[in-house]
Parts: sequence; structure tokens; C-alpha cells
Amino acid sequence: MEQTTYLGFIPLLPLAGALVLGVMHVATCQGNRIAEKLYGILGCIGPVLSFILALKLFFSLKGLPAPDRFLTHEPFTWFSVGDLTVPMGFLADPLSSLMLLFVTFVGSLIHVYSIGYMAGDKNFGKFFAYLNLFLGSMLILVLGNSPLVMFVGWEGVGLCSYLLISFYSEERENVVAGNKAFIVNRIGDLGFVLGMAFLFWGIGADGFDYLSLKANAHNLTPALGITVCLLLFVGATGKSAQIPLYVWLPDAMAGPTPVSALIHAATMVTAGVYMVARFSFLYIEVPVAGTVVAWIGILTALLAAVFGMFQNDIKKILAYSTVSQLGYMFAGVGVAAYSAGIFHVFTHAFFKALLFLGAGSVILALHHQQNIWKMGGLKKKLPITYGTVLVGSLALAGCPPFAGFFSKDEILFSALATGHTGIWFIGVIVAGMTAYYTFRMFFVVFHGTPRDRHSYDHAQESPRVMTIPLIVLAIGAGFAGFLNFPAIFGGHQQVSHWLAPSLAEHHPDAGLGVEFLAIGGSVLAFVIGISIAYRKFFGGAEEPVYRGFCKFAANKFYVDELYATIIVRPYRFIGKAIRQMIEPYITDAPAQGVPWLYRMTGWVFKVVQVGYVRVYAIYMVIGLSIMSLLISQSLNL
Amino acid sequence: MIEHYLFLSVILFCLGILGVISRRNVFIVFMAIELMLNAANLGFVALARLHVSMDGHVLAMLVMAVAAAEAALALAVVILLHKHKGKLDTNIFSLLRG
Repeated sequence: MEQTTYLGFIPLLPLAGALVLGVMHVATCQGNRIAEKLYGILGCIGPVLSFILALKLFFSLKGLPAPDRFLTHEPFTWFSVGDLTVPMGFLADPLSSLMLLFVTFVGSLIHVYSIGYMAGDKNFGKFFAYLNLFLGSMLILVLGNSPLVMFVGWEGVGLCSYLLISFYSEERENVVAGNKAFIVNRIGDLGFVLGMAFLFWGIGADGFDYLSLKANAHNLTPALGITVCLLLFVGATGKSAQIPLYVWLPDAMAGPTPVSALIHAATMVTAGVYMVARFSFLYIEVPVAGTVVAWIGILTALLAAVFGMFQNDIKKILAYSTVSQLGYMFAGVGVAAYSAGIFHVFTHAFFKALLFLGAGSVILALHHQQNIWKMGGLKKKLPITYGTVLVGSLALAGCPPFAGFFSKDEILFSALATGHTGIWFIGVIVAGMTAYYTFRMFFVVFHGTPRDRHSYDHAQESPRVMTIPLIVLAIGAGFAGFLNFPAIFGGHQQVSHWLAPSLAEHHPDAGLGVEFLAIGGSVLAFVIGISIAYRKFFGGAEEPVYRGFCKFAANKFYVDELYATIIVRPYRFIGKAIRQMIEPYITDAPAQGVPWLYRMTGWVFKVVQVGYVRVYAIYMVIGLSIMSLLISQSLNL
Repeated sequence: MIEHYLFLSVILFCLGILGVISRRNVFIVFMAIELMLNAANLGFVALARLHVSMDGHVLAMLVMAVAAAEAALALAVVILLHKHKGKLDTNIFSLLRG
């Protein structure tokens, strides 16, 4: 057994950082403040060291023969109940090592970027403490060797997401957005917990870690299998913002921009995809569940793309594009192309983090202006941001040969090759829409003439601590796609091969024609999308007034209002009814009866408490007499 | 013979109890308590003589010491009570009435 204790250190380092930073912040938030530089350096140490350990892990896995590529580490038994013994265990296999690499890499860059972005904030230390706590939880999620350990991280990232969305807690709407994210995620988590319970009930008796589950997966009855898969997917829809639980993610943009980049674009929201890929051995047995996942994913992609085309807030546009791209990932894992889905997670982390950080740079330059119709012509003022965001936009829009093209194409190709023509067709349309809304944002922000002269004149490029992460991410967004260069162009698909031991996947055999059809469709959609955006927005356009369908879409089909009407309001009504009717008269009755009983008893016995010393002496004499009598009788005197 | 001593002791003790219960002047109550202590002392000493043992004598000495300490403390309390209310009637001090 190889010594793998350092596995435990990967999540532990950021968690320790969170503890230290948190204590420092609490100790010094009143009065003498610690220099931001110290906080920044301390905040970055944990993620960077984790990244180095993740690299070490990657290379030690690489040194092993392909079927044996997994390392485990179980520091202690978490709990043991009946048949169930749950060790606090970590499992590193190709899948988790790939996730680890980009989570720690992108996470470290975003930590560095945050030093510049959050400069001057009065809760600087708290921000880094939360960010470190988030990263630690995310690493537990990725490294956990059983669904239960994964759930610890799953809840941890949910908590940090909540804390960081409502980070600017002076404003009520930010807190409401945080609450919304937390509550919507709870709904998903219920599905996840139920799914785990059913899974344990089915095949958990011989160990509840992934390796044992994988070995026993064939014992699961079909009915139970589909239940487990769908319930787990409910959890994924919550965390990864899919229909019907996607509503929290756009509101989550209330948090600071680095948070949106790290949590709500690159890492946490992809946890659902990771989970489905992790349970690929279950999903492969139940193709129906996979189809459901794929259709929900692609419909989410379509819906979010429609919304994204009519948003005015730069971060909202990116948020909807994240939801849309997550939809692609689910479409990928749904059609059993797990490596394609995970590869899209991987490339998406680069270009979406890049776009968010670039948007953050723009927002900071314009003093927290987020409306794209107040921007324009920023190309000259922010050259580095311009260049890097261009790379990110091309990657997001799926322009060959940038990263997004390869991963998206892989998903669409898999959909086509497995016979899901409908999914492929919608996917291609969404690709065109993606190109359109991405470059709508890009042209409006960076080209044309300045719409707000005052803020334009004061805009200046961000400090180097922010631009260097942008450049590094831009390199990633530009070239990450080549890691999985398709065989059709003479590539080796390293990522798919690397992931193969972790995933229950068989690659569909499809002819060259299908492959060219998929690529041609994607490229055509990209060209059409970008050319429409170019015609409409390149020369500069004013804020349009939406009418009819556009207004309907700009208001997100009134889904939030619909949920408020059919779920939130009745729920509140029930709550109010319970509070006013049932609680005081039924559930609280025993609790209120006990004090009443005491009051009555006291009222009876208060008669004897006359307050005169003499009377108490009489009581004492009476008591002593009775006692003496009893004692003398018991002694038989 | 011993019965006489014990009868006297019991009579003294009951007188003390009666004093504590029936009198309202704090000084008299205090004296009655002293009377009870001495009744107990008489019992100790008498029984010590009966059993030819020093235990009862020792205990009687201890009770006397306690009584002396108690007198010092109680008189201070009585002075405070007097300062507080200006009277020494125990019925005035009835804050514990329910």
C-alpha cells in the first residue's frame, strides 16, 4: 500500500487557511486591522499548496498502470451504525484527479485575482476565509470515497455559496438572493439524500464506497436503479442549476464577481455533472434515466440561452450562459458520453472563470456598473481585459480551435452518434444562440462608442494582480481543447483515455460522416450567431425596448413569479395558518400546560408560607417529631 | 438515676421550643435557643457519665463553643435588625410570606 497521507492534506490545507483567516478576521475586525497583503498571501497559500499536491497526485497516478489508477486514504472512521460503517475516506482516481487539478488551479488564480478585486473592502479577511472554506469543501466533495463523504463537501459548498452570495449583506436583496440559493439547493439535497438512502437499501450492505458500489451495481433491481438515478439527478438539478431548480443561479450574481467566477461558474455548479459521472456505473445500467438527464439538460440549455439573449446585466448574461453550458454537460453525461461531459466541465472552468473575471475587471473599472448599455468602446481603455475576454468569448461561443469548441462538439457528436438526433439539433441551435449572446455582450461592452462618457473617461486597466490571472486563464481557454484533440484530426483524446478507468463508458462507433456533420453543424451555428451579433451590435447600438416575445424572455418567462405564486405563496399561507391556528392551541398546549400546573400548585402551597420565623419553627418541630417517631419505630425501641 | 437527668433535659428542651414558637421578641427567642442547646448539653453529660466515656463531654464542650460563636454572631444580627426596623418584633420580619 503506497503512502497516500497527502491526499488528506489536499482539502485540509484550504480548510486550515479558512480557520486561520477566520480567527484573524474575528480577532481584528474591530479596530487595528491587519494589512490586506497578509490576508491575501495567507489566503493564497492553501489553494496553491493544494494545487501542487494535486499535481503530485496526478503524476503518481500516471505512473501506475491504467486499471490500477486509484489511491485511497482513510484517516479515521467517521461513524458506524449497524451494518453501515463510514470511514472518512478519500479516493483519488483519474476522474477526481482531473477535477482536482482544475479546481485547485482555477481556484488559486481566482484567489490571486481577488486580492486586487476586493482591495479596500472592509471584510477583506472574511472574504478570503469563506473562499478558502469553499475550496476545502469542494475538494472534499471531489475526493470523497463514498456518497456520504461527498455529501459533506456538497453541503459545505452550498453553505459557502450562501455565505458568499450574501457577502454584501448590508443590502437586503443580496441576502434574499443568498436565501433563495440555499433554499432551492435544499430541495435538490432532499433528492440526493433520498437517492443515497435507496442506494444503501439496495446495495449498501457490502460497503458504501464507490468501489464496492461499482462492484455491486449489477445487483440493483431495475426499478430501484431508476429511482436512485432520478433522485440523485434531482440533487444535481439543485446544485447545477437545471430545470426546474435553475432559478437561484442568476440571482446568485449578487455576490462579488470572483465568487461568481469560482463558485457559480467554474467549480461548485459542476458538482452535479461530476456526481452523475461518478455514478456512471449506475446510469449506464439505466438508459432511461440517462435520457431524462440528457433532455432536461438540453432543454435547460435552450431555455437559459433564450433568457441570455435578452439580459442587460453583464453578470446575468454570463450566469445564463453558465446555466446553458451546464445543460450541455448534462446532455453529454445523459447520453452516456461521460468523458465528454467532464471535458466540457474542464474547459468551461477555464473560459467561464476567465469571462467572469474579465467582467469583474470591467465592472471594477466602471465603478460597479453592470448594465452593458452603460458601457461601450472599452477596447482602448482596457486592452488586456479586451484581449482576454475575446479569447473567453470565442471559447464560449465554440469557435474552433478554442477550448469550448472541442468539448461542445464532443458532446454534440456523442448525442448524434447515440441516436439522440433531437438533442443534437437543439444543441446546435443553442450553440448558435450562445455565439449570438456572447458576442452581443462583447460588442456592446468593448466596441462602438462610449454610452456613458463620464465613467468611460475614468476607466483604467486593472492592476497586474488581476490581469495576470486573466492572461493565464486565457491561455487555458485557448489551448485546453487540444488536450482532447479528436481522433478525426489525428489527435489522441488524452482526456477521454485518462478518464476511461473511472467511467463506465463505451465510445459510440460512428462514421466519418456523422463526425463531419456534428462539426459542420457547430461551426455553421457559430458563424450564423456571431454574424447576426456583428450586424446588430458591432457599430454600436442603443438599449432596445423589448416587446412581445422579447419582453417575455427578458422577464425570464415570469418563472420566478410563477414559482412565487404556485409554491412560495401557498407555502407561506400554510405557514401562517399553522403559526396562528395550530401552534398556539395544539402543539404548544402541553408546553404551556406545564407552567400552568406549576402555578396552580404554587398557589395552593403558598398558604403555608406565612413568613413568620415562629411558624417555620413549628414546621420544623413537627417534621423532627415525625422523623423521630419513625426512627424509634424502625429501631423497635 | 439517669432518667431524672434526661427528664430535666427534655423539659428544658421543650421549654426552649415553646419559647421559640410563642415569643415575639428576638432576644427572648434567642435565649430560648440557648436553652435548647443547654438541654442537649445536659443530656450529653448525663449519658457520658452513665457510659463512663469522654465522648459526651467533648461534644458538650463543642456545643458550648458553638453556642458562644452563635451568640456573637446572633447579637450582631439583632443589632442590624434593630437598626433596620427600629423594633425587635419577629412578626415585622416577614419578607418570605408567600
